[in-house]
Amino acid sequence: MRVVVAEDLFLLREGITRLLQAHGCDIVAAVGDGPALLEALVSERPDVAIVDVRLPPSFTDEGLRAALAARRQIPGLPVLVLSQYVEQLYARELLADRAGGVGYLLKDRVFTDDQFVDVLRTVAKGGTVMDPEVVAELLVRRSRDAPITRLTDRERDVLALMAEGRSNAAIAQQLFVSEKAVSKHCTSIFAKLDLPPSETDNRRVLAVLAFLNS
Amino acid sequence: MCWPYGRTTMDGMNGNLSSRISIPLLRRLREAGWGILLAPVLLLIVSVFGRGILWEVTAVLAVAATLLAPPVAADIVAAGVLCLGLYAVFLTGWIVLAFFQVIGNVFANNPALLGLNPFSTTVMSLSGYYLSIGWTAVLLDVLKSAAILGFGVWLVPRTIGMHSGLARRNAALASRVTQLAETRGTAVDTAAAELRRLERNLHDGAQARLVALGINLRAAEQLFKTDPDTALALVAESRENSALALAELRALVRGFHPPVLADRGLAAAVQALALGSPIPVQTDIQLRGRPPAPVESAAYFAVAEALTNAVKHSGASGAHVRMAHCAGMLRIEVTDDGRGGADPANGTGLLGVERRVATFDGILALSSPAGGPTIIVIEVPCALSSPKTFSS
Repeated sequence: MRVVVAEDLFLLREGITRLLQAHGCDIVAAVGDGPALLEALVSERPDVAIVDVRLPPSFTDEGLRAALAARRQIPGLPVLVLSQYVEQLYARELLADRAGGVGYLLKDRVFTDDQFVDVLRTVAKGGTVMDPEVVAELLVRRSRDAPITRLTDRERDVLALMAEGRSNAAIAQQLFVSEKAVSKHCTSIFAKLDLPPSETDNRRVLAVLAFLNS
Repeated sequence: MCWPYGRTTMDGMNGNLSSRISIPLLRRLREAGWGILLAPVLLLIVSVFGRGILWEVTAVLAVAATLLAPPVAADIVAAGVLCLGLYAVFLTGWIVLAFFQVIGNVFANNPALLGLNPFSTTVMSLSGYYLSIGWTAVLLDVLKSAAILGFGVWLVPRTIGMHSGLARRNAALASRVTQLAETRGTAVDTAAAELRRLERNLHDGAQARLVALGINLRAAEQLFKTDPDTALALVAESRENSALALAELRALVRGFHPPVLADRGLAAAVQALALGSPIPVQTDIQLRGRPPAPVESAAYFAVAEALTNAVKHSGASGAHVRMAHCAGMLRIEVTDDGRGGADPANGTGLLGVERRVATFDGILALSSPAGGPTIIVIEVPCALSSPKTFSS
């Protein structure tokens, strides 16, 4: 897997690089600021990019903006965004192009490296992974008339895990139900959210987007 | 005419000898502005050509008043000029009267004078005085007295108006100073309280966890060879602790300066707040630029407080945030459909918001009748920077 890493703190950049190399990833570029990231993404076209939201020179959401700009040039370029904070606003922006291949995680998730590498692979394959903190925030919302209110509690649980990027098998394992039951729930969720049958991965992205917009 | 004692002390500071030798009288004049001497000096000059003791008295009084109490001098000069004017009119009236009387009498009773020019003749009046009743002299007298009276009438309301204006301005300034002292005190207190909170949170939270982390790692180090299982458990615990410390630091920073506010400014941060709220929050934000950072922060926390109240206390099922900047004023309105009855005195945090916006001369208005809805309006005077458009 060819990976571009964008992180301004040297220690973290080195840490992530070493960790991924240990898992057999090929780090094609490790950059420390926004413009360099955009250039690396466009010229290297990696399988996946790991991007810190806050980068020099402006030390605002430079990384996020560079990632979004790169995705405008190369639609669906898989990007895993890491940050000290997760913001629903940024999650929405990442998902807005509906192309999938997006992850948005707290930096501490890197500590659990096996899961982190799994997430990276999911994103590289076009999946959508939202941090459990984003999902938890969505679950406490009391919307009145969003389509999401049509879902049963169990379906919301499934959708939440889907938003965290779990496969049907993983969701089944987590909820102690059969994989078949999970896929039935999924079909029901897609129907209730008015998502027409299409390629499954894309529908999962759209379902998560609907969840975010609830 | 601009009376010159509204000037500041900086005006006359030109570094010459008289400004270095600190004579109180000179300094007082310098503070008032040298122009204040203009009126008394003019009066003195006029009094030389004028007649009557009133001129001299007024001029001397004016000079004395100017030297002793410059602001009062204006009033005395003005009042003196007015009196002189009235006196001159009276005098002129009498002269004019006498002029015609004398002409009438003299020419009626004395046919021998009929061939003379009555406008340039000195005759004896009935009372025995010789009067110069030349035409030009009378005309001059009329013009002079009219001018003096006119000047007095013009001057008096100005000095008095200036005095009352000055008094008003002084009162306004005094109340402004009181208000600034109050809000500055609040700002300093708030900042100090925030720092104490920060210190306590760090001390009890992240710092404590880092200490525990160090101890655990040291223990794990020692146990590595003898008891690898326990060591492994300790290392796992340490990792969890580090994640918890991070989570606490995150929450702490969010409470002080939210990242979206730092990254994108007020409009986006309020949108993020709305998105993160447990109840649906509609936003209507029209800002063509960013307010100064401290105002942004105060406005952000004001909206956060209003939305928190809507969720926690008013049981609202929805809220609406409107934000716009026009005519130098940032206006924020947060409405919720809850049960109302919010009272800043009940420690809802709105008091804190009010104090915080007051440091920027902002105001908070609250309407929250029992049964709702609750409407909170915050207005802060400020300018926006950069013409970049942020809108929802």
